[in-house]
Amino acid sequence: MPVTVEHLRRVYGSFAAVDDLSFEVAAGEIVGLIGPNGAGKTTTLRSLAGILRPTSGRIRIDGHDLAADPLEAKRRLAFMPDEPRLFEYLTVEEHLRLVARLYSVPDFEGRARGLIEELELKGKEQSLPDELSRGMRQKVVIACGLVRNATTLLFDEPLTGLDPIGIRRMRETIIARARGGAAVLLSSHLLHLVEEICSRVIIMAGGKKVADGTFAELASRADLAAAGSNLEQIFMRVTGHD
Amino acid sequence: MISASLYIIVCSTKNRIRRRLRRLREPRYLVGAIVGVAYMYFSFFARMRGARASIASGRRRSGRPPELPAFFVQAGGSLVALGLFALAALSWLLPFNSSMLEFSDAETDFLFTAPVSRRALLVHRLMRAQLGVIFTSLVTALVFPTARPNPVAWVVAVWVMLTTVRVYFTGVTLARGRLLLGDASVRPVAWAPVAVALAAVAIVGQSLVRTLVREQPSALGPAITAVHDALSSGAAAWVLWPFVAVSRPLFAQGGRPFAAAIAVALVVLTSLFAWVLHSDEALQEAAADAAARRAARGRARDKPAARARATGLTLAPVGRPEFVFFWKNAVQMVRATTGVALLRYAVALTVIAVAASAAISSATQARGLAMTLCSLAIGVAGFSVVLGPQIVRTDLRSDLRHLDLLKAWPVASAAVMRGEMLAPGIALTGVAWLALTCAAILSAAGFPALSLSWRLSIAAAAVVIAPSLVFAQLLIQNAAAVLFPAWVPLGNERPRGVDALGQRLILLGGVLLSVALMMLPGTVAGGVIWFAFQRWVGPPILLPAALVCLSLVVLEILVCTELLAPLYERLDVLAVERAD
Repeated sequence: MPVTVEHLRRVYGSFAAVDDLSFEVAAGEIVGLIGPNGAGKTTTLRSLAGILRPTSGRIRIDGHDLAADPLEAKRRLAFMPDEPRLFEYLTVEEHLRLVARLYSVPDFEGRARGLIEELELKGKEQSLPDELSRGMRQKVVIACGLVRNATTLLFDEPLTGLDPIGIRRMRETIIARARGGAAVLLSSHLLHLVEEICSRVIIMAGGKKVADGTFAELASRADLAAAGSNLEQIFMRVTGHD
Repeated sequence: MISASLYIIVCSTKNRIRRRLRRLREPRYLVGAIVGVAYMYFSFFARMRGARASIASGRRRSGRPPELPAFFVQAGGSLVALGLFALAALSWLLPFNSSMLEFSDAETDFLFTAPVSRRALLVHRLMRAQLGVIFTSLVTALVFPTARPNPVAWVVAVWVMLTTVRVYFTGVTLARGRLLLGDASVRPVAWAPVAVALAAVAIVGQSLVRTLVREQPSALGPAITAVHDALSSGAAAWVLWPFVAVSRPLFAQGGRPFAAAIAVALVVLTSLFAWVLHSDEALQEAAADAAARRAARGRARDKPAARARATGLTLAPVGRPEFVFFWKNAVQMVRATTGVALLRYAVALTVIAVAASAAISSATQARGLAMTLCSLAIGVAGFSVVLGPQIVRTDLRSDLRHLDLLKAWPVASAAVMRGEMLAPGIALTGVAWLALTCAAILSAAGFPALSLSWRLSIAAAAVVIAPSLVFAQLLIQNAAAVLFPAWVPLGNERPRGVDALGQRLILLGGVLLSVALMMLPGTVAGGVIWFAFQRWVGPPILLPAALVCLSLVVLEILVCTELLAPLYERLDVLAVERAD
């Protein structure tokens, strides 16, 4: 299983941002992680990416324990954060080269060229982040994540700042990677996107998992049956906002 | 609007103070505050008390209160007035704009959209600026405790002068804005202050030149008296009257003359403020320009403007991970280094070089260009080795901002620590080696008393010791970033407050002590070699002694980076990304 999370807990002082969270993401699966603001989605993704240390619990990426064997686990991961944080003094091409070196990407040139085309970054290869729009910077972050053969892709609000064409391309890219066998975990407030591309949904509230399943499974749950059949209605019911 | 302004100012100040006090609950801020307050006390307050005691003892000895020198009382006002006049004239020429027109984002969004007149906005901004002006006035009283026997009078005089200057600059900025306005009816009026300023410069300049040519003073005293005479008679006196009026309270002796002087200065201030209020048409444009400048300054503070210029550095597709960090930081150093940054260091270097030159020339009685260049080279080497690691922060200290990115990479923590230090260490060592080579070549002129053997041995030992000092300091600085990330300023940001000052002092002390401890084993081992063999080998033994010292420091660095690795792994991003 590419992603296995067991009893993940992360506290900030006395506040538990994520509490006893367990789930799995299989290869080829696109799982949507949704929840209201402060539900613990970003903390979960950042813990999975190895940025935050879990207070307790275990995370395994392709069987590699993130705490015990972090380097092997991280080699298989690609995390695309919601806020594009890039090195101010490296160009787009240099960012890709840097990532290729760190992750030992063998056919870097070809892959980089393809991604630059795919993400419409052509002509911006020698630009510094400051010279790019926010949407373009977001695309650079995504390109850095996709330039390597990660088995697990973590997206935090991947469509933020993208134009309509970019959104459509991004959607296609995510689906294509999942079809290629990657496990995708995607956090978003755009429920229609989640509904459209995700095969399964995890709903969080107050740091806890309050629902987990395919749309059909959620819709058929006894306590949610009356909510309606679309994700927004289910979300509202599960999070107590209906 | 005034009540709303007062509400904003009072609430903001109250909340800022409350937040500063609340953070004292954290031990690091509390300890920082204690050290900061102690530093302030011993630097300023104790000095002020000492100055008072000295004044009192002078009074006891002479039987009358000490007075400012007669020359200062007589000409001081004219000189300050001339300075203010020059500043006022230059403000029309130089592209500096008043910070009084910089409104915060919240002010722009809330007040500019509110039913508030432009004049009311200007009044609000002037009121908000007062806290800073009063603080600056208080600081001048602390820094120059002997400036006046009565510090309250001094603070009031400085406050009036600084406020007048700020209001004047605001008027100049607005007047410049009016010149650019499309409204043809406004433009002729807007040119009037420019014409007045030009006429004033012509009058004062002519008076000064005429007097100085006539008197031809041979010393500083008569020259100042001549300037005073030129400015206190005829048309120049009329032109300078507002400037003299603003500066006179600084020099007024006694309570009644001070009250009279301050009243006149307030009249000047009020007149200027009326002019500023009258020039309010260009407020929006000037405020928008100021907001753009503020945003640009903020961006530059976070990350100086860079161009994607070629660096000649290429990252090989495979290799040790340390070199990834070397490449990344080296590219950053090349692209972030601007002419302005180099100029800043050049000034510091020049001061150090002049001091070193003077010291060496007085010690060796050597003279000449070669000696000066030798001193300059030694100054550069010393600067690179001693201060360089504190100034060049292209390592983990600046990368704490990217910690989330770094932590997601599959790179061993010890390699991150070592790699981060490489680029600044190699750059500083390179500069030091270059300077030491120059110093060695010119050492015959700089140190004529030393034999060639001594000079070459010292130079070779210095070349070996330089990287150990540089890397030892970088290790300590980076270790501090790992151990106390919240104490390390991010990028070019500098936290404010007495507690932040104390934190910086503690950090500096800790770093210096740690570097001394780190260098101790190498120094002892090198010293042992020196004492054991110098009798037989002579000066060349310095080189192996330095090599032993370097080897021990390298060993310490390797061990320390391995020891720091688990701490880096445990380093929480939130310790850096502090929640607001």
